[in-house]
Formats: sequence, structure tokens, C-alpha cells
Amino acid sequence: MTLASVSSASRVAAISRLTGLRVPPTVALSFAVIALVIAWSLAPGLFTSHNPVVGVPADKLLGPGTTHWFGTDHLGRDLYTRVVYGTASSVTSALIAVVIATVAGGLIGLLAGFLGGWVDIVLARLVDVLLAIPNFLLAVIVVTAIGFDTTNAAIATGVSAVAVFARVMRSEVIKTRQAIFVEAAFLMGGSRRHILLRHVLPNASRSVLPLAVLQFGLSILVIASLAFLGYGDPPPASDWGLLISIGKDYLKWPWLVYAPAFVTIATVLSVNRISRWLRTTD
Amino acid sequence: MRGAYLSYAAKRLTQAIVVILLTYVFTFVVVSILPGDPITNVLRDPQNGFTEDEIKAIVAAQGLDQPIPVQLWTSLSHFVTGDLGLSMRSNRPVTTLIAEVLPSTLILASAAFVIALLLAVTIGYGTQFLPKRFGQGLLRGLPSLFLSVPNFVIGLALIHIFGFQLGLFRVIAPNSFWATLFAAVALGIPVSARIAEVLIANLDNESEQEYAAVARGRGLGQMRLFAKHLLKPSSLPVVTVIALAIGELLGGSLITETVFGRTGIGSLVQRSVSTQDLPVLQAVVSLAAVVFVLVNLIADLVYPLLDPRVKLIGGPKYRPTTADDSSTATSQAVTS
Repeated sequence: MTLASVSSASRVAAISRLTGLRVPPTVALSFAVIALVIAWSLAPGLFTSHNPVVGVPADKLLGPGTTHWFGTDHLGRDLYTRVVYGTASSVTSALIAVVIATVAGGLIGLLAGFLGGWVDIVLARLVDVLLAIPNFLLAVIVVTAIGFDTTNAAIATGVSAVAVFARVMRSEVIKTRQAIFVEAAFLMGGSRRHILLRHVLPNASRSVLPLAVLQFGLSILVIASLAFLGYGDPPPASDWGLLISIGKDYLKWPWLVYAPAFVTIATVLSVNRISRWLRTTD
Repeated sequence: MRGAYLSYAAKRLTQAIVVILLTYVFTFVVVSILPGDPITNVLRDPQNGFTEDEIKAIVAAQGLDQPIPVQLWTSLSHFVTGDLGLSMRSNRPVTTLIAEVLPSTLILASAAFVIALLLAVTIGYGTQFLPKRFGQGLLRGLPSLFLSVPNFVIGLALIHIFGFQLGLFRVIAPNSFWATLFAAVALGIPVSARIAEVLIANLDNESEQEYAAVARGRGLGQMRLFAKHLLKPSSLPVVTVIALAIGELLGGSLITETVFGRTGIGSLVQRSVSTQDLPVLQAVVSLAAVVFVLVNLIADLVYPLLDPRVKLIGGPKYRPTTADDSSTATSQAVTS
């Protein structure tokens, strides 16, 4: 215990030296949570010796304890192991969603803001349409259209978030375009493409970063909700949302809901905290 | 001023109508790219027991033998007149299906909305008057926490604690008072977080104003100061998040109704998704868009009337803090 706290304290010091910024303790804790989650998704085998798919029927529905940190499920599988092995899928799908939302939304916003004119008008209407459909409903419709599995759920979640990114990117691009250094670049004979890639894009994307981090947390929630409704991969996959969904049928053994829910909440909370920190330090 | 307002209103109205029609087209396109041929899959499902002639009749009645653009045009022109077509599964008018389940969802959503408002105002009050070190920091973190919890987890926790442990309600009677109340709480909590975020930012802003200091100097009590001087100007920008909140209530009802076993729009959507009942899905999405656009339109039209500081064109700019700059059409329309 002392060892762990010492090492994390020195890591915090290292981070703050590295960035020259003071990192608040809650942000440091958030980074630690995210680091653990990433480690779980990269090498789940290092963190548990149990098997996520094959259970011991005699040990079914045991409460949380020293041998089974999160207890066991109705088939005698270790729940902590299931959560650890489900991390990769939950995290990757949230990443896919963020990438789709950022790239597609960013591109729409960039074109609308930089080109203006009728391109802007057409894209603005598209964004209005995407905003008019409640986010979650849009994700459900899209995942219905492209088929039920976790990757598709991630794509649907990404599509449902495109509008937000397009909006922010467009207003940032317009703001940057009017900056004096961009005007100067035009006067110096810079081509549109050069100015777009070299000046407008890097400056406008700065405010997209905290938004993307925030969207990562939101995507985890939306994908968990889709998995909860059964629109993701079926068991024995162990996405966090799916684990909670399975747990709801065993509410007499509430840790089956609370343990995966706790991991989900801790992750999203950490991501949101980091996003807020990025926004204020920028 | 009046002329400016009227032309602004006319512009927003046409924009709203265009968005509604485009949303219908968009949904039609998304729904018609469904993999395979769900239409004939459904119709030829032996469980449904349609004969070959009946299938032909249904296909003709739904206009499914026409090319896609023609289908879109007929469907759109029916939509404009309020005709939403027939359900593919039950062959009953979609409007009837929706009308059957709408009251249940409306009760749930309005209860959730009231709870969300109450909760947000309570949190807002706390952030202004609780001691800085203890209650305040906690309350300020609350919206962020609410937004980090999947809303089905809130529902399941409520069922576990109040249903199973305390026995306040039974899951098999989802329409009883207590069950409805807790479903509304589960649905309302994430929505309250959105409202609270905006409210807190504005309350902070208002309490720094001179008139608030004067009111404090006059020895006004906390309650009076909050209700009469802080809450009123701070709740104006909240109008702009309400449209967003309505969308969230609609989307959230999908989950909440499943968790609590209620029938409603959400469970209708879920059923239609699993049976690929396209006309129903198309109708629900379009209706949701209509509601969203109308609420947004009303918010945009009412806002300049409520807040004299907002100038439509020209004039000094006053910028209320809205949910965030990306969230509603309102912030853009009002302040541009």
C-alpha cells in the first residue's frame, strides 16, 4: 500500500514537471484510473488468473470477497475477470465512436466554415437534421440499419455525435479565418489549401480536443446503453453494458449490477474530469 | 424592433419547417438502407401466415413495388397531411399505435421533467448558500456525477433499493404510483444535470452583479434573495436547454421503459426495432424531430421577448451562458 502511494506520488510529480503545470490531485487520480483501464484492455491476462468464459458451477453467485473481488455470476465465472476482459471491447468501441464523430464532424465543420456560401448552407441543414433527432434514438436507428454488433453500435454512436463536432469546428474555423495572421498568409500569396492545412486546421482543432475527450466518456455510456438493450455483441462477450444487462436479471445478487456499473462510472467520471481540466488549462 | 422580430420569427419558422421535412427524408434514407430485404422477410415469415395474394396486396398497398424516390415522395406527402401509414406487423395505422402508448410516455416524461427542474433548482440553491468547503463543492460536482452514470444503472439501483429492499413498489405493476415516480426519477436525474450546469453558471454570474450586493446589503433573507433576485434572471438561459432536455427525455424513455417494464413510445420503438417495423420507426423518429424542432422554435421565439437584453440584429451583445456553444440552435440564432 505504501509502495503504491509512493510510486503514484512520484509519478504525479513527474507529470507536473513534464508539463510544467500543477496537476490537481483529482486529475492525477483520473489519469491513474484511465491508465489502469488501458492496461486492462491491452493485457487483461496480467490482472487476473481466472477464465472469463468458463466458470466453476459450484461457485456460482458468490458475494465479493478476497478470491473473487467482484463475486461470481450465475455460471460461476469470476465477475472481476469478466469486467477486465470486457474492457478492450468497451474502450475500443468508444474510441471508434470518437474517431468517427471527430473526423466526420470536423470535416463537415471545416468545409462549412472555410468555404462558406452554399456549401455552408447545405451542411448547416444536414447538421440541423442530425441535431433534431434525439441522440440516443438516432444511434438506435442507425444501429438497426447496419446490424447489431458492438462495432456497429460504435459506428452508430459516432454518427449520432457528428453534429456536435461539426458545429464547434465550424465556429472555430470562422473565428480563425478572421484572425490577422490568416489574412497575412492570404496576402503573402498562400494557397487556400496551404492556409487551410497549415493555419486554420491546427488552430481550430485545439478546442476540439477537450470535446473529443468528453465524447469518449459519453460514447462509453451510449454504447453501454445500446449493449444493455441487446444491440451489441451477444454473450459470452462481456462488454460493461452487457454485464450490467445480464446482472439485472439477478437483482437478488446486486453486485452483478453494481460492480460493472462502478467500473463504468469511475471511467466516465475520470474522462470527464480530464476533459474539464484540458478546457481550463488551454 | 417589432419589424425585426417579425422577420426573425418568419425566418426561424421556415427554417423549422425545412428541418422537419429534411429529417423525414433523412430517416427514410437511413431506414431504407436496411440490410437484406426486411420487408419481404417480415411478410414471408411463416408466423404471420400471409398467403401469396395477401403479400402482393400489402406490398401494393404500402407502395413497396414502386422505385425508392417515388416511395419517398408518396410517403412524404402523406406525412405532411398527418398520415403516417400502416404498421408492417399489425397492419394497423401507425398513428393509432402511437396514440395508444403516448399517454404513458407523456406522464413519465412530464413527471421526469418536473423532478429534473426541482432537483436542478435545489442544487442551484445549494451552490449559492451552503458553506464553501462542505456542501458546495459536493453539489457542484453532482451534475458531473449524474452525467457519468448510465441511466439504466440509476433505474436498476432504484429498483434494487426501493423495490426489492424496501418493498415500496413491485416491478410487476409498472404503472403504480411508486413505480412511475421512481421511473421518473431515473429518467429525470441526467436531465437535471444538464439544467443544473447552466443554472449554476448563471447563478454565479448573477450573484456577482451589483444589484445582488445591494439586495444583500438591504438584509434580504437567503430565500427571498434567491427566488426574487437570482433565480429569475438565471432561469432565462435555461429556456435554451429545455429543447435539449426534451430530446434527452425521449431518448432516455427508451431505456427507462425497458428497465421498469413500462409500455410507451420507448417500448414501441424497441419492439419495432426487433421486428424491423419500418413505418413505425420512421414515424417515431419524425415525431421526435417535430417535437424537438417545435420546442426549439418556441424557445427561440419567446427568448427575445423574455429577455430585453437580447438584441436580434446589431446593438450591444449580451451573451447568456447556454449549455455549451454547440448544443442548441438558440444560442446561435439569438446572439448572431
